Amino acid sequence: MNRQMIEKLLLSRQNLNSGLGLAMPTTKGEEEGGCGVVGFCCTEPVAARHIHEPSKQMHNRGNGKGGGIAALGFVPEQLGVSRDVLDNYYMVHVAFLDTGVRAELERKYITPYFDMASSRQLETLDDWTSIPALEAKPPDVWCYFVRVKPQILDAFITKNGFSLLSRDEAEDEFLSQQSIKLNQEFYASLGDKKAFVMSYGKNIMILKVVGYAEAITEYYKIDDLRAHIWIAHQRFPTKGRVWHPGGAHPFGAMNTALVHNGDFANYHSVSEYLAQRHIYPQFLTDTEVAVQLFDLLDRTYHYPLEYIIESLAPTSELDFDRLPKEKQRIYRAIQATQIHSSPDGPWFFIIARNLPEEKKFQLMGITDTAMLRPQVFAFNDGEVQVGLICSEKQAIDATLLSMSREDSRICPIADRYWNARGGSHTDGGSFIFNLEKNAAGKMRLTCADKFGVPVQLPAGTEVSSLSEEIKMAHSDNNNIENSIRQLFDAGSHIVYEYMLNSLPAWSFSEVSLACETIRSLAKDPDKTATAIEVLTWLNDRRYASGTKKRKHILQIVREALHQLFDGLPGLAESTASAYRLIGYASRELLREPLNGETTLVIDTKGFSPEGNDCDATLLMDAYFKGWRRFISFNCAGQRFTGCGLGPETHDVTIDVYDSSGDYLASGIDGLTVTVHGNAQDQLGQIIKAGKLVIHGDTGQTFLYGAKGGSIYVMGNAAGRPLINSVGKPRVVINGTCLDFLAESFMAGDVFNGGGFVILNGVAFDDEGRLVPLREPYPGSNLFSLASGGALYIRDPGNRVVKQQLNGGQFMPLTGEDWDIILPYLQENERLFGIKVDDLLTVDGTKRTPTEVYRKIAPTQLAALSSKKVEPEKQSALVADE
Amino acid sequence: MADSLVQENKPKQILQENTINTLVPQVEVPRVIKTAPPRYRNEIAKYIIRRSSECTLCGKCAQVCPYGVHVLKPGYKNFAAPRQHVCIGPSCQQTGHYCVDLCPQKALKMVENRMLKCPGDYRWTPDMLLATWKMAETGAPPLPEYGYDYHTGASGGGFDRLRFKFPDKPEVELTEDEIDTSIELNHRDDGRPQIKIDVPWYGGGMSFGSVSNITQLSKARAATAFNTFTCTGEGGYMERMRPYDEHVITQVATGLFGVREETIQRVRIVEFKYAQGAKPGLGGHLLADKVTPTVAKMRETVTGISLFSPFPFHSVYSIEDHKKHMDWIKHVNRRALISTKVSTPADVDMVAVGSYSAGTHIVHLDGGYGGTGAAPDIAKKNIAMPIEYAIVKVHRFLEQEGIRDKVTLICSGGLRTSHDIAKAIALGADGVVIGTAELVALGCLRCARCESGRGCPRGIATTDPELSEMVNLDWGTQRIINLYSAWRKELVDILIRFGIRSVREFRGRTDLLTHLDYTNDVEHHQ
Repeated sequence: MNRQMIEKLLLSRQNLNSGLGLAMPTTKGEEEGGCGVVGFCCTEPVAARHIHEPSKQMHNRGNGKGGGIAALGFVPEQLGVSRDVLDNYYMVHVAFLDTGVRAELERKYITPYFDMASSRQLETLDDWTSIPALEAKPPDVWCYFVRVKPQILDAFITKNGFSLLSRDEAEDEFLSQQSIKLNQEFYASLGDKKAFVMSYGKNIMILKVVGYAEAITEYYKIDDLRAHIWIAHQRFPTKGRVWHPGGAHPFGAMNTALVHNGDFANYHSVSEYLAQRHIYPQFLTDTEVAVQLFDLLDRTYHYPLEYIIESLAPTSELDFDRLPKEKQRIYRAIQATQIHSSPDGPWFFIIARNLPEEKKFQLMGITDTAMLRPQVFAFNDGEVQVGLICSEKQAIDATLLSMSREDSRICPIADRYWNARGGSHTDGGSFIFNLEKNAAGKMRLTCADKFGVPVQLPAGTEVSSLSEEIKMAHSDNNNIENSIRQLFDAGSHIVYEYMLNSLPAWSFSEVSLACETIRSLAKDPDKTATAIEVLTWLNDRRYASGTKKRKHILQIVREALHQLFDGLPGLAESTASAYRLIGYASRELLREPLNGETTLVIDTKGFSPEGNDCDATLLMDAYFKGWRRFISFNCAGQRFTGCGLGPETHDVTIDVYDSSGDYLASGIDGLTVTVHGNAQDQLGQIIKAGKLVIHGDTGQTFLYGAKGGSIYVMGNAAGRPLINSVGKPRVVINGTCLDFLAESFMAGDVFNGGGFVILNGVAFDDEGRLVPLREPYPGSNLFSLASGGALYIRDPGNRVVKQQLNGGQFMPLTGEDWDIILPYLQENERLFGIKVDDLLTVDGTKRTPTEVYRKIAPTQLAALSSKKVEPEKQSALVADE
Repeated sequence: MADSLVQENKPKQILQENTINTLVPQVEVPRVIKTAPPRYRNEIAKYIIRRSSECTLCGKCAQVCPYGVHVLKPGYKNFAAPRQHVCIGPSCQQTGHYCVDLCPQKALKMVENRMLKCPGDYRWTPDMLLATWKMAETGAPPLPEYGYDYHTGASGGGFDRLRFKFPDKPEVELTEDEIDTSIELNHRDDGRPQIKIDVPWYGGGMSFGSVSNITQLSKARAATAFNTFTCTGEGGYMERMRPYDEHVITQVATGLFGVREETIQRVRIVEFKYAQGAKPGLGGHLLADKVTPTVAKMRETVTGISLFSPFPFHSVYSIEDHKKHMDWIKHVNRRALISTKVSTPADVDMVAVGSYSAGTHIVHLDGGYGGTGAAPDIAKKNIAMPIEYAIVKVHRFLEQEGIRDKVTLICSGGLRTSHDIAKAIALGADGVVIGTAELVALGCLRCARCESGRGCPRGIATTDPELSEMVNLDWGTQRIINLYSAWRKELVDILIRFGIRSVREFRGRTDLLTHLDYTNDVEHHQ
């Protein structure tokens, strides 16, 4: 696009908002609270009801005062139009807050300008109050399929001198301007708001309500409406009285819909930048401004997507230096140009868009450079592919579960879950799912980061359609069953070894038979513990699985585990067993443990994520009644597991299965909590003592303000782990972190009982072998402003550089250091099977610890320290507390 | 899945036990007024009396002075140094007891104490310091003959420009006994206990580290005597404070120093500190010199290294994070009420409503006038919105939103006197939090050297063992009890003059206030 054309475009928008002679505000109309966001795309069109589960899972991220959904890529028959109309006509959704204005609105803004292929009102339930998740009556919504009348478009092009624009671009621009004008008259400028455009693009729909997002599909009766992409948003506006959904997300611009979790600190500055280009917010929220900005960079400036992302979340610090020189030159120019429009503060966008010219759909997530909001991506490969982006991993799990129930080709476990590293040279803080037809005309999904580098998926091609195979498995193959039965008395390790050795060669049905055997053996009270242990290892550990996809093995193992737990006796039963099962329906039966009962197994399904009705509260009550061992399973994001038991809990253990929630193990003071899978955000805050083991990755602000305990993470910790940590926490992270690890670490002197972090920077390959990550620590900030403790990093290639440290310094690793960390690496070996010897092996050769590990200790910053403080005499008044 | 919002609205049963930890026996502190004389031999006074060598030790001066300025102790051959701080000054001339005139030898001379130009500042005038010391000594408002001008300071703004519109005669004649100064802190009806405090104020958060052990304990004991609260601040909960658990608010602040499940479970109120009005957006500071081995041990950090609490919570960047954070504390302590302490940005009304919808019981607004010497001057005076604006803004917005009676609005930030407290309540607060005034009761001079070296020359805001031994616990407790007693008397007096029975009815009565900037009213007689 040439400069002249851009100027003409901008100029043509000059008077859109000023028609009524009102000054346009560039200050925020209402404070945006936080939110829960979710988006998924699928190679098959998916029914709207699958947005229910993730939306419900994230109720507690909204407050029921704003919810919205967007969908892209419909099935034409469902909308009562032809494929041609769906692909080529604009779908305009207008929300009528005052139904009386429809005739006037159509007369003024629609009929004279457009050829209409179809128009209809979205059906609704008769009584909105029958849906508890709604807070106010949703607007009446009309959907129009339109094209601009040729003579109108000609006149528009001539008037504005758009000769250099393609006719499609000009038509897009007409739609956009018409929508602004409509909103200006019927919404923005009025004291009483009457109607507004929710969306106006091709093959795209946005709906929003004052209520929770899932109420939309119910109210508008679109539970069965199918689309390739869905995004949803739960809003938490701080203002209490909201009567219409104008401010709710998603916001749309042309073929793009955007939801946002966060808050711009520089709303005013971004708005000013847009105002200079004749773009004004009409709904006065961050999100609207975000989509306006995206639209400007995309449709007016024609930035490639990579540059749009760069201008939103600039690459900074060491990451910038690590970019290729040519990229640095371009990025520097982008940053200089976009400095005033780059949104500052915590934000995470999920954007869905239709690219009609390229015949593809995109779903992307972009995080701010500092990664202040939670975000998880997942890719589920197979015949039907699904890409997901969410605020919480548990919402991804809930979506996949919901989809897998309807379509057995979809596995409830994804192939990969990961986080983006904001403004980084590694992935650019953004991932884009592309949905387009392959050469064979079949919809396929790919995922790439900001730089276009595809996301690596685990190898293994074999998939399973389990339901059928399990049935046929029982007839033959008695020797698997017999082997397992025979080995069982020899102990869990032997059974596990047998399984590991056999797995690569087994078929899915054999795996399933083996797990089924283990499960049935668990019925014997003497064998229950062994069975749980073996299945748990199969769930937790990494191992070779031949050509079979790991996720399907996990699916089998988890199903066996669930059945095993479900089969345990309840509190009212008299069956002999050390285990007792309790669930939401039976929670009133809670009592003291009786003779021989050791473990309370909590089925967390149905418990609310917080409050008096949450499973963590039940666990607390059970602890007060004398229970000391717990298993929680079926978790779907319930929070605070293990919190509230207070000190002196060394005899307590809690094992958590499935999608555990935020704040797990925060404040624990003695007990052991084990998470059998990935964990979420804010785990282990202020942890005082005890042990926390995570068989997977963990989320944001892990161990904030931790004071002690030993903590083991099999995978990665996301952003800002161990901030403001004091005392004596001892932490092993086998993967890496996004950034800001151990900022303001104050954990004393390692040689004198202080705390430390061991960062191994390794991952597993598809065969379950250890491989070093490209960078053991890619972030620009490591151990910043630390004043105590130490960091031990496995970095044989000296990849970590001084530049990453701000307040830390490299120190020689001594024998004394190794003596301190070795026991923790040995325990790490016991827990995860990550051998110390393997960690010390570099390129096939075993090295000495000093060649492999580096130590980082605090530097004494003059500005922070005092020379005056000397040992004080003991006094009765300030004696030790 | 249960809907948390719907749940909030229906009352629930009182919750089950909180913890299996044993509670420690609670200590009662009697609410009695006892004279607590200044701890320095020569307390700073408004007037200085000089005795010349002409004195013949006739004893006339001691005989005429009703205040006991001149003391000739038996067995001594000279007068002790005069107790100048109780002298009412030249106004004594009208009483007929004026020693200077009555001295047969004309050996006495009275001059103004020029040293009084030093302590205090425009907000805390010397008269206000002297009057507060006097109240802490006697437990009553200073006698009018002292002529202290202490109900307002000289800042030329804020509470110093607000005046009460006292009627000539109240519509209802009330006696002291009929006045109720108590307020309730839980308005949510969420099954958590009701907490009623006897006076509409409680003590602000000052950590061990910023102030001494004795200072914290004195505050806690006085709070116990008045059935109100004091706050630990950030930085740990001393075991020694445990006998007062029922009257302690523990703070969960952004550094999370010294916060443990156990300390959260001990108390009846937990306060989230997001920001301080004196330095919004700057976090907390404890400079290196004050991080003594004991402080470092308490916070589990490194001796002699400055400690910074970040701004904001690293885990809380939005309202749903705040809700989650609060749910966590509610889970850990099932009986506690939650207070959310925020500063006063321009959108403070939104912050308050957001906090309410996230589940807080108390919204605590901290305005820009407060802060000890540790807060940087540039921040203290220039960032937060003045509290008197913030209170009205929030009070009215909560009313508009229909939730004013579902949340307790507490404010702080430079409330120095009982009159300030009454004004804050009339503007719309339910109650207030006080900070510096308690330190003044302990002898603080407002020298603003809290952050330097080991801190306070008066042994209050220090952790130096020798310096902190300057204050005695019983004395400190009594001084604060006395100040509280005097304030309560003054507050009751204000309500009597308006004919209003309860401090709760006084809330939001802006019609009873006038602002000198906006009216041509002459100053009403106080």
